[in-house]
Amino acid sequence: MTQTEIWVYVQTNQTSVEPTSLQLITKAKEIAVNQRVVAVMPTVVSEKLINEVQEYGPDKIITLEDDRFKTATDTEIADVLYQVVSTRKPNSLLIPATVIGRSVAPRLQAMLQTGLTADCLDVYFDGDTLVQVKPTYGDDIMCEITCPDHQPQMATVRPNVFKAVKQNNDTTIEKADFEFHPETQVKASTPQSIISSAANIGDANVVVALGRGASSPAIIEKARKLAAKLGGMVGVSRPLTDSDEFGHESQIGQSGQSIAPDLLINFGISGAVQYLVGIENAKTIVSVNTDPDAPILAASDYAFVGDANDFMDNLLEQVR
Amino acid sequence: MKIVVCIKQVPKSDSVKIDPKTNNMIRDNVEGVINPFDKNAIEAALTIRDQLGGEVIILSMGPDSYMSSLRDGLAMGADRAVLLSSRAFGGADTLATGYTISQALKKIGDVDLVLFGRQSVDADTGQVGPIVAQYLDVPQITFVEQLRMIDQHTLIGQRLLDGSTQQVQVTLPAVVTVRAELNTPRYETPVNIQSSFEKNVDVWDEHDIDLDKSRIGQAGSPTVVKRVFAPDKKGRQTKTLNGNAKKAVQELLGQINN
Amino acid sequence: MEQQNIMAAGMLHRMIREFTDNELAPLDMQIDAQGDYPDGLFDKVVNNGLLAITLPKDYGGAAFDYETAAKALHIMAIGNASMAVTLEGHFKTLEQILKYGDQRLKDAYLPSATHRIFAFSQTESSGGSNPKGISTRATRQGDDWIITGDKIMITNGGLAQVYCVLAKTDDDQMGVFLVDQDMPGFSFGKREDFIGLRGTPVGEIVMDHIKVPSYHLLGKVGQGLEIGNNAHDDARILMGAVLTGIMEHELQIAVDYSKQRKALDTPLYELQSIQEKIAEIAIARQNTELLYQHGAQLKLAHQSYAQVAAMTKSYGSRAAVRSGDMALQVLAGYGYSREYPIEHLIRDARAMEIAEGTVERMNGEITLKQINR
Repeated sequence: MTQTEIWVYVQTNQTSVEPTSLQLITKAKEIAVNQRVVAVMPTVVSEKLINEVQEYGPDKIITLEDDRFKTATDTEIADVLYQVVSTRKPNSLLIPATVIGRSVAPRLQAMLQTGLTADCLDVYFDGDTLVQVKPTYGDDIMCEITCPDHQPQMATVRPNVFKAVKQNNDTTIEKADFEFHPETQVKASTPQSIISSAANIGDANVVVALGRGASSPAIIEKARKLAAKLGGMVGVSRPLTDSDEFGHESQIGQSGQSIAPDLLINFGISGAVQYLVGIENAKTIVSVNTDPDAPILAASDYAFVGDANDFMDNLLEQVR
Repeated sequence: MKIVVCIKQVPKSDSVKIDPKTNNMIRDNVEGVINPFDKNAIEAALTIRDQLGGEVIILSMGPDSYMSSLRDGLAMGADRAVLLSSRAFGGADTLATGYTISQALKKIGDVDLVLFGRQSVDADTGQVGPIVAQYLDVPQITFVEQLRMIDQHTLIGQRLLDGSTQQVQVTLPAVVTVRAELNTPRYETPVNIQSSFEKNVDVWDEHDIDLDKSRIGQAGSPTVVKRVFAPDKKGRQTKTLNGNAKKAVQELLGQINN
Repeated sequence: MEQQNIMAAGMLHRMIREFTDNELAPLDMQIDAQGDYPDGLFDKVVNNGLLAITLPKDYGGAAFDYETAAKALHIMAIGNASMAVTLEGHFKTLEQILKYGDQRLKDAYLPSATHRIFAFSQTESSGGSNPKGISTRATRQGDDWIITGDKIMITNGGLAQVYCVLAKTDDDQMGVFLVDQDMPGFSFGKREDFIGLRGTPVGEIVMDHIKVPSYHLLGKVGQGLEIGNNAHDDARILMGAVLTGIMEHELQIAVDYSKQRKALDTPLYELQSIQEKIAEIAIARQNTELLYQHGAQLKLAHQSYAQVAAMTKSYGSRAAVRSGDMALQVLAGYGYSREYPIEHLIRDARAMEIAEGTVERMNGEITLKQINR
């Protein structure tokens, strides 16, 4: 029996390799029982990018090189992948659940007539069957999904759930032949990178929140600096909406906005119910309060009893 | 312009529970609503229709209870609706769903633009849009946050990638999936709510559409749900940061950077 | 058909809930502080078709029945009572035009009720509860009527564009006439600075020899007081719905607080003194809801509903003020603070012990009915 292969789609732009792709190479090597790990990589002609992938030690890299990948459409990428996947028939294909990955994968799935599981949090092998673990109905319920009768078994995997680890391996690099079929009805521009500019506190990834216990002009100034440093925004609990500095649009809570940042840092907020309902969906909550019995502390992942000013100074100093 | 918006009905937020014995999702008595992103798609369709004229059709696949979401789309202002409903469609995964919907779109005919929400909030796949685009052999623009029609045949979408944006111009017909940032969906209005009961809703089953029976429903679905389980629900486990502020910040950053 | 009506009502109520949660509730405190609707807010109400909820389809309306409309105001009032009262004033006025208006008047004016507010006005400075003492005059001139007078304390006065006014004819009979702000001789007077329902404008109109065609008379000469009373009855049902919403808001605040706040290690809601207050608010809320629903159902069934309408507002207004007081006590210091909405909910509810007939007047009506049964 020939050795089966687990493929990882490596997403690239002109200058870099998308990090999830590397995380998936490491993960694939971890879960491979006897499968070879193959990175399949549509890319502009660039030795640097190939070398970067090699550092993560796949058994093989299949490069699909063409400078038109600079602005390739989802369909063009899917078409090229189809050409190699359909002839070489890997057992599995892991794809980063990035926007590009999640756009290319289903198109490729339809071409290949196989199954695809979206946004997995984990994958593992049960023999040659790839078990794909994904959340459903929010993150409260998990499913295990398999694709027993079709190959490749395809899954997109959420970014940053696994760590990419460099490792030495005797990697074969193969430049594969393919035809690039331009999609004539489409003109795509080169992606322009953006700096996070959440205009709305509800969309901010990081929120530094101030309450009555942290409302001096000096603290507000520092909070703005800290938010800027973290790429986030400053929000407030109700008492501060009366100040000149903040309006209703900055208010967090029942009569203000519900927020769902990855990180919320509360300073001087006691944690009235009206406030707590507005922060339920924050991923990580850090709270600083002088009152050890402030309800906000028990509603947080990290609690510090002490001076807000002091804590903020240290954050400003230590955050890079 | 003939615009079709494909929508899904999803359970109203976090009302879904798991039966601890059978590990099945308890879907009975769960109130269904339009998948929120699909409302952005409907809004986009109505905006284009208001600008260029034409017709907006709501299309969905699901049991009769989905009628309430079709009605919501009509109450927002869509012109008519089609529901693909049959036991034969049951158990479909994204591949079988995409196939069935693409065949229904062919039956509707002469569709210029097919809109989807970027993904459903329950299954969270976002796959059906691109699958339909592939089956219809038309271009796609996914995760669109800005959209504008230049003329009757040309559309420019700005998609939000991870950390970058990209302008994509397509000649119609095309499939577009939209993000919430694209627009604010309009409310249903009292008058439109009433007139939604007078608009035409077609219900099609497997006999009404040209279908390869082996590619629909469970038979046409390569994926299998092996197990459904509730992960250990973690309420917030509060970790107290000790020591002075400097030490506390060090400890915090050490933890959250991992 | 019945099934369809139920589904449509459900859709309307969900729409109102979404609109209230997104557009009104976040501005509730601001509306009270500002004493007005922020710019653009009323336009949103108009543009989303909320003025047309009860209007018949023939005039471009949605033709929801009165009970469904009342429930819509109940839901809206949970988020903001002022806007619910603005709609109440509009809906009750339309009811009078529909019931008493000449077909020519309906055709000319009702299509515009989808985007123009209609108001009903009886009160003059001579006193609200003494309609016979009014000095607004309607004088016959050929086929037309000439209206002159000054009306005050009109719900939506200044915001409304069309007014049904009670006037005395030359032979000292009462009539209700429809005037339009665009007519020559029409002007606005001052706006009241009321302590509650501060979003709802309440103001004055001045009519100086406004000429209206004969069909602008609602019903007949001599029917003015009947129409005025009928408008009160229709308003009282809707105000009962608004009061139910206010009590629901009061209840929510008290319940949330009592769950979160602890006395030593015991959540407040485990204390009997707190339970008594929360239960009383809940019961009063439920009672008022049943009363307004019953009133609306009687109206729909073309049965006499004046008595129940009076009970609804008499009971509901006092209950909502008292419930607010109890909720305030549950929150103690916070309840007394302007940071929390309770104090303004009490002021809002207090308005309805007065508007559309004082509690005393309604209790008089109720008693009279009991004596004469």
